[in-house]
Amino acid sequence: MTPGGLLSLPAGLRLERFRLSFAAGLVLLAVAYFLGAKLGFVLTPQRLPISMLWPPNALLLAALLLTEPRRWWMLVAAVLPAHFAAELHSGVPLAMVFGWFVSNCSEALLGAVAIRLLRPRPPRFDSFADACVILLCGALFAPILSSFLDAALVKAIGWNDTTFWQLVRIRATANTLAALIVVPLVMTLVQNAREALATAPRRLLVEAALLFAGLATVAFILFSNLEPDARSSPALFYAPLPFMLWAAARLGPLGMSFANLLLTAVAIWGAMNGLGPFAGGSPEDNARAVQLFLIAASVPLLLLAVLLEERRRAERDAREQRQQLAHLARVATLGGLSGALAHELNQPLTAILSNAQAAQYMLGSDTIDMRELEEILKDIVAADRRASEVIRRLRALFMNEVIQAQDLDANELVREVLGLARGDLAARDIEVVTNLMQPLPAMRADRVQFQQVLLNLVLNASEAMAAAPAGARRLTVSTRAAGEGGVQISFYDQGPGFKPNDAERLFEPFYTTKPKGLGLGLPISRSIIAAHGGKLWGESRAGAGAAFHVLLPPSGPLAWLPH
Amino acid sequence: METVDSSGEIAPCVRIVDDDAAVRISLARVLRAAGFCVCTYPTAQAFLEADSQTVPGCVILDLALPGQSGLDLQEALAKGDWPLPVIFLSGRGDVPSSVQAMKAGAVDFLVKPPDAGALVAVVQTALERDRAARAEREEIASVTRRLAGLTPRERAVLERLVLGEPNKQIAAVLGVSEKTVKVHRANVLLKMAARSIASLVRMTERAGRRPAETKPSA
Repeated sequence: MTPGGLLSLPAGLRLERFRLSFAAGLVLLAVAYFLGAKLGFVLTPQRLPISMLWPPNALLLAALLLTEPRRWWMLVAAVLPAHFAAELHSGVPLAMVFGWFVSNCSEALLGAVAIRLLRPRPPRFDSFADACVILLCGALFAPILSSFLDAALVKAIGWNDTTFWQLVRIRATANTLAALIVVPLVMTLVQNAREALATAPRRLLVEAALLFAGLATVAFILFSNLEPDARSSPALFYAPLPFMLWAAARLGPLGMSFANLLLTAVAIWGAMNGLGPFAGGSPEDNARAVQLFLIAASVPLLLLAVLLEERRRAERDAREQRQQLAHLARVATLGGLSGALAHELNQPLTAILSNAQAAQYMLGSDTIDMRELEEILKDIVAADRRASEVIRRLRALFMNEVIQAQDLDANELVREVLGLARGDLAARDIEVVTNLMQPLPAMRADRVQFQQVLLNLVLNASEAMAAAPAGARRLTVSTRAAGEGGVQISFYDQGPGFKPNDAERLFEPFYTTKPKGLGLGLPISRSIIAAHGGKLWGESRAGAGAAFHVLLPPSGPLAWLPH
Repeated sequence: METVDSSGEIAPCVRIVDDDAAVRISLARVLRAAGFCVCTYPTAQAFLEADSQTVPGCVILDLALPGQSGLDLQEALAKGDWPLPVIFLSGRGDVPSSVQAMKAGAVDFLVKPPDAGALVAVVQTALERDRAARAEREEIASVTRRLAGLTPRERAVLERLVLGEPNKQIAAVLGVSEKTVKVHRANVLLKMAARSIASLVRMTERAGRRPAETKPSA
């Protein structure tokens, strides 16, 4: 489900084996900062004091967001040597190097503080609310605000002759783009990549590889175009969009961040080399056009990816919750049944033990009746089979098995379930009457699920009749063909029935009329039947108890099956 | 069902009541192999209809019988003239039922599957208990019969004798001579087959304490 970004990592480099100590993280940050600054210089067009993409500040911001505020000073200290190492020999005056350190750190800290103030918990990029705040503060507010400081410092030191407002605009755009590309990437790499790579199915990895290959190809074709046609180039900008939307829809924020990185890399490469649709004007204009294009593309796509990821996660959680509920209900049924099941198992065990010990006694006596011994062995085998059958049914009923729809005979299923509940029904002194139509159309259903539903209805009926006078505790189970190829199974008890307005409430979760009931049996049964395309409803028959009916249409479509 | 053993007494019979044929047959087998006489019934009703409870023995009862339950049958047996000792078998270790069963006088409450050694031991205890109860009932019946054979005057003398009154006092109270009392006393001892006044006291005490169980046998 969760998308994987760098999907073809060799096994030795799998991210889940990575667990950095904090010190190693600091070193990694310093190295990344150094390399980011070097890359920033490479991406600085001639004549301009400011890069097209300046990753160090965004790297520091991402690192701050991933760290507890009380340790932030260590991060700032760690990037200091990296900053000087990267900038001292690049022809920039020392005062400017120091000034940039101040403005870089102030940008990252400003963004981080604002984000931590607005979000109560450590932010995560896979949450929509967090992502909005991160983009707003980290990619908009902090770069713009710190750019005033940066431009003022440049002017004060007098390193460059560009105007103040120009400097502010250029730096804010470059750093906004860097924050948009780097922060989501680093945060999702640290927070999501491990789980994403561990849980992503192979199909999704292949899909991601295809997607990135396609995106790279389209982007390369778009941005390496030597002779851009002024009229058609705006339309061409949409060429990568299908791939970008694909990434947002399927790969989550991690995959989206990689797609953004890829598109940005190709676009900047084209612009730097005077290729593609952004190569027409002055270097500054070209840079700004690329940056604005990338900013405009990445913000909505990132947010879309996060939103879809959040929805996927909510669906997954809901599904897991449903499964847990179903399992809980099964365990509760098991609890109610355990006495009856112990009885079911202890009967054959008694037969086995007593037969075997009878044979032992016989072998110890003088005369051995071989025929009797043969009978004993035969009975032991039969009892053993009976015990293993009980266990097989038990397993089928209570383990989380894979769902399999098959053609079933409703009559056989009814008989099996009544057999399973035999001990319980006998202990409650309930007479069972079956009224099974022969022949019945086959119904397409999951055997275990259906057994669970029918057993639940039998046990409900049996409990409903607990207070009825002995002799008036009859459970009638009937099957009949309904419509063309449909099957209806009905359970009639002689209990007190229920109030008319309870007919629907009975199917609400946690609504129960039983002192020890969980109120889950009927809702889960109904959801199972609904998943089979059928209906489950109850009816109170005036003074004659309750009836529950399961109606299954002809080989109903198998929609979602809870398990 | 009645088997007369070498000593001329009716051999005790172990009755098994269980609705599960496999259980019934296997339990019968192991008890027969251990040397008991066994007969089996699928339900409480079948037992009540067909079993002759004058035959000594005991009942092994499944707790969860269809229809009339094991506990119901135990109650019905206890109310009858020949209460047979009951051993319960249960598939589940059901505490309330076992407490009720033991309170109602069950010999034991075994959980399925029962080990043959334990089962045989419990059956022996039950048969021993039945034998003792029958012997006591027999003795009480005999004392009651002998008491019935006394004349009203002899009976009056007996009642005074067991209270420890001397002949003289009895003679005075009844208004007869001391010699007559002596004759009556000799007759009472003879008719009651008592060797001494002390054994006479024991007999009457036992018969008087258990009036309900002193009905003559069928």
